[in-house]
Amino acid sequence: MRRFLFNLFAWTVVGLVAFPLLWTIVTSLKPQTELFRIPPSLLPGEITFEHYRRLLRETRFPTYFANSVVVAVGTTVVVIVVALLGAHSLTRFAYPGRERLAQLVLFTYLLPSVVLVIPLYLLLVEVGVANTLFSLTIAYTTFALPFALWLLRSFMAGIPQDLEAAAMVDGASRMGAFVDVILPQALPGIISTAVFTFILAWNEYLFALVLVNQDTARTLTTGVINMLVTSFHIEWSLLMAASVMMSVPIIIVFAFLQKHLTRGFGAGGVKG
Amino acid sequence: MTAVEALPRPAEQGLKLSTRYGLLGALLIAPTVLIFCAVIVYPLVSAIYLSLFSIYTPTLKGRWVGLGNYADLLASGEFWNALGVNLIWTAGTLVLQLVAGVALALLLHQNIVFRSLARSLILFPYFMSTVVAVLVWRWLFNDLYGILNHAMMWTGLLSMPLDWLGRMPNAMISVILVGAWKYFPFVVISVLARLQTIPDHLYEAATMDGAGRWARFTDITLPQLREVLFIVILLRAIWDFKEFDLIYLMTGGGPVTSTMTLPLLVYKQAFALNEMGGASAVAVLMMIVMLGFMVLYFRTGRTAEN
Amino acid sequence: MASVTFEHIHKAFGSFVAIEDFNLHIAAGEFVSLLGPSGCGKTTTLRMLAGLEHPTSGTISVGDRVVNDLPPGKRDIAMVFQSYALYPHMTVAQNIEYPLKKRGVARAERRQQVQRAAALLQIEPLLDRKPRQLSGGQQQRVALGRALVRNPAAFLLDEPLSNLDAKLRAHMRAELIELHQRIGKTMVYVTHDQLEAMTMSDRIAVLDKGTLQQCDTPHEIYHRPVNAVVAGFIGTPAMNFISGTLRAESARLLFESGSLSLSLPRHLVREEALAAGDTAITLGVRPEDVGLTADGLPAIAKVVEPTGHESIVFYDLSGHKMVGRVGPDIRLKAGDAVRLTLNSNKLHFFHAGTGHRLNTDLEPIAATAAPGRVA
Repeated sequence: MRRFLFNLFAWTVVGLVAFPLLWTIVTSLKPQTELFRIPPSLLPGEITFEHYRRLLRETRFPTYFANSVVVAVGTTVVVIVVALLGAHSLTRFAYPGRERLAQLVLFTYLLPSVVLVIPLYLLLVEVGVANTLFSLTIAYTTFALPFALWLLRSFMAGIPQDLEAAAMVDGASRMGAFVDVILPQALPGIISTAVFTFILAWNEYLFALVLVNQDTARTLTTGVINMLVTSFHIEWSLLMAASVMMSVPIIIVFAFLQKHLTRGFGAGGVKG
Repeated sequence: MTAVEALPRPAEQGLKLSTRYGLLGALLIAPTVLIFCAVIVYPLVSAIYLSLFSIYTPTLKGRWVGLGNYADLLASGEFWNALGVNLIWTAGTLVLQLVAGVALALLLHQNIVFRSLARSLILFPYFMSTVVAVLVWRWLFNDLYGILNHAMMWTGLLSMPLDWLGRMPNAMISVILVGAWKYFPFVVISVLARLQTIPDHLYEAATMDGAGRWARFTDITLPQLREVLFIVILLRAIWDFKEFDLIYLMTGGGPVTSTMTLPLLVYKQAFALNEMGGASAVAVLMMIVMLGFMVLYFRTGRTAEN
Repeated sequence: MASVTFEHIHKAFGSFVAIEDFNLHIAAGEFVSLLGPSGCGKTTTLRMLAGLEHPTSGTISVGDRVVNDLPPGKRDIAMVFQSYALYPHMTVAQNIEYPLKKRGVARAERRQQVQRAAALLQIEPLLDRKPRQLSGGQQQRVALGRALVRNPAAFLLDEPLSNLDAKLRAHMRAELIELHQRIGKTMVYVTHDQLEAMTMSDRIAVLDKGTLQQCDTPHEIYHRPVNAVVAGFIGTPAMNFISGTLRAESARLLFESGSLSLSLPRHLVREEALAAGDTAITLGVRPEDVGLTADGLPAIAKVVEPTGHESIVFYDLSGHKMVGRVGPDIRLKAGDAVRLTLNSNKLHFFHAGTGHRLNTDLEPIAATAAPGRVA
């Protein structure tokens, strides 16, 4: 009985925390007319996918979605490749200035984007790539690279030194040992880092807001707001449907890669 | 790669093995260093440089004003107001995150049914886009159709619908609340990870020494959590302090300037008042405030490594 | 198969000097142990030979080739790590095959070699397993297999038995001795366990605080330690040390320490080591050289530890703590008054300041030292 009451209590708390998420889904499935009923109905009287259909067919949502995918994937790939080499260097090589560099990485990891956004804006305008997805990818490396480096450094420092040494004695060159032994060992860490980097880039708002003001290059975060929120009118049904769809990649990550998420968390947030 | 190394490389024959390895290490870090210089170090330096100019955003034409921007800012109420608001927001949301985070971590550490689903649901807000989180909450807060007002009126907590975002102190409370909801899972995961490493025999020993439930919590759990909480507080303080998306999207700094934090002030100066120099000056001042936290974090990082 | 030579090796980590002027020649086919307490620099020395650490100065040669600037893979050496360092994502077969693959050996040939090494170590049934599915002893064999599969100039073994339990360690020790006899390869073996070093080595190099103390056969190291450090490190229970003064009186030497006074034959100690008056020395006595006799020095047995085939006895000899061994037939118990005799021919004299050996037997050191030693 005490077990049952405790479970009831625990799940009530969890339910309260998760309520906004459930409410979003419920709202997105309600017909427009039911949305503005007073008092609101807890469960939709009638389920409709009309809002999703409209979003995909009649708005620029698919463009924004594609843009977000391109920028997030692009950022992740670039950042993971660069950070892997960098983290390998920081954890396995000796050269002057290495410690300073590691500290710089940590410093940039904590640096506020808002400090960089103005000079970056000027720089990208100067170079002539403003208003492109490319400019966003560049801007996203400012936070994604320090983050990925810090995370990967922590993962790769945990790989036994002896493995690389054994591979080298066995005839591998240093880079050969990296490919043959370190990379396979670092794979779980690489997946975690890639997932986190993707999420960071997927969710980014400030740079997207400042660096892009053309619809062709807008990502989901700025595009949806720009499209559905005006001073006079907010399209709640569409917004809720858009919110659900924006969260789809993250839901997928949760379903399949949760273990990688929690592992990355430990390495980057707390151990670091 | 082996094949390449098997070839004689006269250029490297003269170099010591350790030097060659050092060069390879430098080569591997070179892309990182280049990118850092281009997109972080250069903008950072240029932010400081820009803060000495008065720059009109639409034309980007600048005029040297020296420390004028700083003098104006420090003399204006706006900067000090933003700093105050920023500290209130940071402290408020941080405390809520900690309390909720530790409580939920303790709860999820227990053996409840469908525990991993419960964990996923709790963690989800942290990973979802701030844009989505804000939209959802603005819908919940909606004064006419929002379910929050209706629920609270139904339970008798409210007699009239509340304007959650358009008035003070409601706006600040709402922003703090949503910030706590969005970011407390970070505390949950960190604390949960630490809880799982506390050895059972400590609790067994304490039970044998006659410690009750509460005593076991205060005498064993809390001291074991001290270190992780310290780091979590520092990190969250830094991240909450620089938060832009959430507040900007919730209230835009309003009503008037009552939730206008420093990052929002930077944005407003640059893109609403078209004063990029002034905006850079705010950003630099904000950096200086944050350096305090960062130095503290660096110190703990170093002692932890030792 | 090749010799290994260290010449004037220095190694510093920042301001910490790990190895100082290390010279050692290991003949082809020889089994040499690097022995010393942890932190003495033995592993660093081995890793420098492997190319995993880099000497600050000096040269390392394998055969007649200076290898200082060769990467580890080009030095033609194989190494067994203390942690075994098996590649976790590869099967046992792939682990053993890896060095051959890196050397461009053809697939069919590789498979054959892996089979041969596996047969030698009796691990054929394990070939398809992953390292984490193996016991400690099995992992140890796989690590050996990975080293054995090619034909290196020298084997480097870094405390390979230290992660095994006592019984398995004794077993693997015997196997390693047999293996060395069978393949006759140059082996450099790092250990902190004197039993391993004594039982397996042709010669032992004793290191302490980054300096080579002595390199000689196990017999010489045990019976003629060059200084108090070596003497104290080798032997279980450890050698007894008594600090005191030595005075030459015509044909006799008088050793005095507190109330203890011994009269010894003068020829035991080199003449030039004796100062005009008193010489401050440390007297060393191995536990087996502490005997019981009817008319010896009065002492009290404090603690008796019977081990079955003998007993270790802790005595109080005029205020000095002494450890001795007695046979199984002698039944002593704590508190018994006994009379001790020290075997004067087996006494060790060390200079109190430098710790150097002062015994006369040290004179023909050049003749007793191994021929290959680089002085």
